[in-house]
Amino acid sequence: MSDVITVPQVRPVQPALRFLRVVPGVILLAAIGYAGKLLEQNVGAYAKAHHWTFPNIEYVLWAIVLGLVISNTVGVPEIFRTGVATYEFWLKAGIVLLGSRFLLGDILKLGGISLVLVAVEITGSIAFMTFLGRLFRLKPKLTSLLAVGSAVCGVSAIIATKGAIEADDEDSSFSIAAILALGALALFTFPLIGHVLHLSDRAYGLWAGLAVDNTAEATAAGALYSDAASKLAVLVKSTRNAMIGFVVLAYAIYWASRGQAQSVGNKAAFLWQKFPKFVLGFLLISVLATYHFFNKEQVGALANLSRWAFLLTFAGVGLRTNFREMRKQGLRPFAVGAIGEVVIAVFTLGLVAGAGKLFGW
Amino acid sequence: MSGEAKAVRKGNGWRLSLDAWAVLVAFLAALLVRFGIFKHVPW
Repeated sequence: MSDVITVPQVRPVQPALRFLRVVPGVILLAAIGYAGKLLEQNVGAYAKAHHWTFPNIEYVLWAIVLGLVISNTVGVPEIFRTGVATYEFWLKAGIVLLGSRFLLGDILKLGGISLVLVAVEITGSIAFMTFLGRLFRLKPKLTSLLAVGSAVCGVSAIIATKGAIEADDEDSSFSIAAILALGALALFTFPLIGHVLHLSDRAYGLWAGLAVDNTAEATAAGALYSDAASKLAVLVKSTRNAMIGFVVLAYAIYWASRGQAQSVGNKAAFLWQKFPKFVLGFLLISVLATYHFFNKEQVGALANLSRWAFLLTFAGVGLRTNFREMRKQGLRPFAVGAIGEVVIAVFTLGLVAGAGKLFGW
Repeated sequence: MSGEAKAVRKGNGWRLSLDAWAVLVAFLAALLVRFGIFKHVPW
């Protein structure tokens, strides 16, 4: 008889079952996104036919608002939640496909400018948020998370940093809630401010990419302004995302030096692990487009596929924003985040204006 | 023999990140368009 004790194993979820769990939520995203598209087409036409003055509301806003209404009234039923969470997957696939609309030369030129602006933005934002956190006497690790979230790329950066600096779950929930709430506000305020200030598509796209925290919100804030602004916002935001590894590594080393986190062994492996791979996909598709791997019609088809992917993303942005849940997280981290975001928005607007003067835009 | 527990470690397998999946799916879609499987994508 064998003495080996068999450890009961948890039966893994079958891949087919995992796929099936995603389906209802993805259908919900598609339905909301498509309803937004139909509303854009029909509301404007209806208002025009009845001689009403009604602003042209883009599908982006309709999809987000419909998602927000559902999330904050009836809520998102459990059966849809796994699929709704795939909105980030659609965002990243959409960004990769969007690469087909950029020629490599444009990316190098705009990427070079945005890299300098991003470096200034990240340094300035981290310094200011750290100062603000100390002023409001927030816990140091909570301050680090808020600083990374507002300087680099929102929720992904907070989650990456949380693991690296061994922050509490509570701190990361506070930071994520603050960044999400402020992202939702940015969606509505940025396009308005852009129009009031008569910003060009280029200036607005740069600004949205530099100042809006989450990639989904930055993409949506760009798309709410114009197609050209959206393209640029995605490019600048992707440049910010590419910096995530360096910033998280710096924080991990800082907290390890204070004996409050594990030291980082292989730094190159750490950087590769944190690097957002979709940025590489975006660059590779643009290389293929630059060397005419796709003809003009095919580039058009890829751009449309990217739009469909973003449509699902925008519906997801609305559905995952629940103001009641955010209110539960407390006021102080939100206040620090809000003050920080306003200052960062003004600071980055100044940066964009300065760059515009320097390069004669 | 002692009653030491002997856990059979099952290989973790090769798991792709969400980013990597997004890149793969986007490239697959791009190839389908490139080789004419999807000729026209309406908007």
